[in-house]
Amino acid sequence: MNARSNGKAVVVENLEKRFGGFVAVDRISFEVSTGEIFGFLGPNGAGKSTTIRMLCGILEPSSGKGTVAGFDIQTEPERIKSQIGYMSQRFSLYEDLTVEENIDFFSGIYRIPPEKKQERKKWVIEMAGLQEHRNSRTAILSGGWKQRLALGCAILHEPPIIFLDEPTSGVDPISRRQFWNLIYELSGKGVTVFVTTHYMDEAEYCDRLGLIYRGELIASGPPAVLKTELMQEDVLEVLCERPQDAMGEIERAPGIKEVALFGKGLHVVAEDGDAAVSAIRNILDDRGYRTDRIEKIVPSLEDVFVSLIEAHDRLEQPQEEVRR
Amino acid sequence: MFERIRHMLRKEFIQALRDPRMKSTIFLIPTIQVLVFGYVVTTDVRHVTTAVYDLDNSVTTRDLVSRFVESGYFDTVEYISTDGREVDLMDRGDVQAVLRMNKGFEDDLRAGRTVQLQVIVDGTDSNTARIVLDYSAKIASQFSQEVLQERFTRLQGAVAQPGQVELETRAWFNENLESRNFYVPGVISMLVMLVTLILTSNAVVREKEIGTMEQIMVTPITPREFILGKTIPFALIAFIDVMVVTIIGVFWFGVPIRGNLLLLFFATALYVMTGLGVGLLISTISRTQQQAMMSTFFFFLPAQLLSGFMFPIANMPRVIQWLTFLDPLRYFLVIIRSIFLKGVGLNVLWPNFVALAIMGQVTLWLATRRFRKTLV
Amino acid sequence: MKMLRVRAVARKEFIHIIRDPRSLGMAIAMPMLMLVLFGYALTLDVDRVPLVVWDQSGSHVSREFISRFSGSRYFSVRSYVSRYQELEGAIDTGRALVALVVPRDFAGRVESGRTAQVQLIVDGSDSNTATIAMGYAQAIARTYSQEVVLRQIQRAGGRTLVMPLDLRPRVWFNTELESKNYIVPGLIAVIMMVIAALLTSLTVAREWERGTMEQLISTPIEGKELILGKLIPYFCIGMLDVLIAVLMGQFLFHIPLRGSVPLLFLMSAIFLAGTLSLGMFISIVSKSQLLATQLAMVLTFLPSFLLSGFMYAIVNMPKPLQLITHVIPARYFVALLKGIYLKGVGLEILGFDAGLLAVFSVVMATLANRKFKKKLE
Repeated sequence: MNARSNGKAVVVENLEKRFGGFVAVDRISFEVSTGEIFGFLGPNGAGKSTTIRMLCGILEPSSGKGTVAGFDIQTEPERIKSQIGYMSQRFSLYEDLTVEENIDFFSGIYRIPPEKKQERKKWVIEMAGLQEHRNSRTAILSGGWKQRLALGCAILHEPPIIFLDEPTSGVDPISRRQFWNLIYELSGKGVTVFVTTHYMDEAEYCDRLGLIYRGELIASGPPAVLKTELMQEDVLEVLCERPQDAMGEIERAPGIKEVALFGKGLHVVAEDGDAAVSAIRNILDDRGYRTDRIEKIVPSLEDVFVSLIEAHDRLEQPQEEVRR
Repeated sequence: MFERIRHMLRKEFIQALRDPRMKSTIFLIPTIQVLVFGYVVTTDVRHVTTAVYDLDNSVTTRDLVSRFVESGYFDTVEYISTDGREVDLMDRGDVQAVLRMNKGFEDDLRAGRTVQLQVIVDGTDSNTARIVLDYSAKIASQFSQEVLQERFTRLQGAVAQPGQVELETRAWFNENLESRNFYVPGVISMLVMLVTLILTSNAVVREKEIGTMEQIMVTPITPREFILGKTIPFALIAFIDVMVVTIIGVFWFGVPIRGNLLLLFFATALYVMTGLGVGLLISTISRTQQQAMMSTFFFFLPAQLLSGFMFPIANMPRVIQWLTFLDPLRYFLVIIRSIFLKGVGLNVLWPNFVALAIMGQVTLWLATRRFRKTLV
Repeated sequence: MKMLRVRAVARKEFIHIIRDPRSLGMAIAMPMLMLVLFGYALTLDVDRVPLVVWDQSGSHVSREFISRFSGSRYFSVRSYVSRYQELEGAIDTGRALVALVVPRDFAGRVESGRTAQVQLIVDGSDSNTATIAMGYAQAIARTYSQEVVLRQIQRAGGRTLVMPLDLRPRVWFNTELESKNYIVPGLIAVIMMVIAALLTSLTVAREWERGTMEQLISTPIEGKELILGKLIPYFCIGMLDVLIAVLMGQFLFHIPLRGSVPLLFLMSAIFLAGTLSLGMFISIVSKSQLLATQLAMVLTFLPSFLLSGFMYAIVNMPKPLQLITHVIPARYFVALLKGIYLKGVGLEILGFDAGLLAVFSVVMATLANRKFKKKLE
């Protein structure tokens, strides 16, 4: 890592990307420390892939500044590329080449010295669990294996920073879990991992998160902090009988922002949690619903995100009206 | 069903026309082709660069040389004075022909002896060479004729002249034997097939290669609807190309259209159908766009060369001539040349129509069958 | 420029090619097919032109005249007609391309020393064949006419037995005027241009379409390493095609190769490098395989076929087109090929063309490199 980096693997300041009139990334700023697992969380089209591509030096920003591994993304993209591994969202492997041939190819591209080449190849194959499929064409591999192989090819040269763009989309849950184990392993060795995802549960695995919506960074911080401090409202869990019917009753109570089915019960978003608990208990008792539990819980990231998005939309609306 | 086809059509058009470069190539290619063919291909030979090696340097030899120059076909660029210079000039390609007359030319001729005119011609372009020899023979013959007439007059008296046989030629359908009248209709035949083939063979394979094919196949669309949706835009583009070339040919180059336009339209429709059929067939046997493209050219190149567009079928070896019966371009070429230049109708051309119709049906049927099998 | 990376790319491209045997097979079979076609089947030489004859004279003299046509290898008499409609029908339907009409007074005029006019009608819709057929017919008429004149002179007591001016034609470089001798060498240029462009024009566009290019541009690989690596396998295929073409020309068609073989291959290599770079350039600029195909066709097939001098002599083209041919590399290569094959000359004469070819290749390679950007959009 570069002496300039200061312990910060990625620094971004007012980064912007426009495609014609459309603003894909709207002046975002954030930092990623060395060795962190940083997650970029957001729905499709929010600007995650665009950001990652700018950071990797393969897409020219419209304005703003950024450094990766201490190198400037606009003036020194080629120096960045030798310090990073990138796993693109689409398939980055050659379908008609075998597993080994793909690995050999990327070894050559990254100029892995001949002494290390065999060792790294062995490591990747074992890491991906592809020992039996060394000579199989990549085309026939299942999604999970392909992803692990793609990751392996991206880190053959042991880069200090890796960028993963939706690495687990379309992959089965078990493979997903295995993949994240790999990421932890890498992080444990000091590798900085920058990953984008739209799976909320995966977001929990990250050290820090950036919530991105419509090109804007609407929140950032460790997941725990986001869950406890960022949400203005409280979240309650309600376990009762006939939750679908109970939903309608609870919605009418004062101070209740939202009610949603969650698992076997309900998640209720309320302005004042304590007041809501008693209000709900009263309503349910009145109407004759047997209640097992009503209590405040730590909100899930999904709750946080939805609430933040709604708040963001509400802010945007009056501006829209003024503009009109 | 029509709803689905309409949606597919819209998607195909958007895809095909989204790239502005695609739009320009679709319209630019036919224009460029017809212009180039119209101007480039001419079997007219003029300004044959000639060197003269006149060892006699007499009135007679100079007169003979001037006949060559006056014919308008020969340009004298050098008078050779050293032996061996002609080799140098021919090797470099600086001249295409050398005229050589030996010392004593005039005297021999006056004495009633036979004299020689040597014409050396560059055979690396045998077409030009043959024409040069032809012109030379004509000029030499005229010269001889005049000499003979002189002798005859001396014998018979001033009045009489020897008779001769003259050939008066008339070219039907194309009075001035303009080669562009020959080529422009042919360009239509070549273009339509090429454009249809490239677009169709690519269209289906592309979806296979990128992976969107599976997504389409899980919708309730039937193979026939899919094929229709894919091919209709290309048929339209082909028709547009025909119109572009015809308009340029007729209004820019003055190529006549003497036959029935409706018939032309009908023939084009049959021809396009065949092109679509072949294109689809190719796309069902290809896994990647690269394979589709190579297969397209592998079919198109021989089909084009054997169609009679540039090389007359009648001069091909027998076996190859039979092979051309399988070539849809051959039939369409006959039809289109006849309609443009000869103005004949269905009564003469019907076998070609039938052949095209059969080929169109067969290829489409084969393509649809294969399509079903490879997708199910 | 790091050779390790170039090697990695070259190896990958080789694997792609080998794993697509159909494309590879066609890349080799197509030149062979074209050579066979041009060597055996396709010719501009015309003979056995179908002819109908309307002998209105029916005399001994007219029959003698007509026999010059029926006995000529250039004409093939299909039928003797006796009415105009029959003649018209024959030409309209294409049964005959030429019609000869001998007038009633033919014999009378010839024998009495006056000029007899014979009408020749040609189907102009095939202007090529028509022009050539006309030339043959006129030559036949001319020869006959000369004989008539000579006979008259003899009868008048003159001693002349032969025509006073004897034309001695000599054809250099291609003595039998076999069109295949001049077409096949030039064909090598066309083949190379078409194949090279077909193969390389897709290679970069394909990676953009499939998404693998995005991965590649995030690595430290340099544009010129990628381009060079991709060119190498196709260069090998191209040279293989040249070898096949030369061998076929030699052993199958007996086309004389009078010049230097090493020079031939050297020039081919330079030209190939240039056309491959052109194909690569098309691929880089297109980003879509469909567009690349169309561009390749317009920029390689058409110009090399029509404007290179391979089939249609450049000197006969209109001046503006002649100027355009100066920027078409195939033009120089065709001149080189014909020179080496038929004239047996070397660099002392062909140096200029060779130099221009080299320039073209360098320019093309530079353009391709310049255009390639390791960035999306």
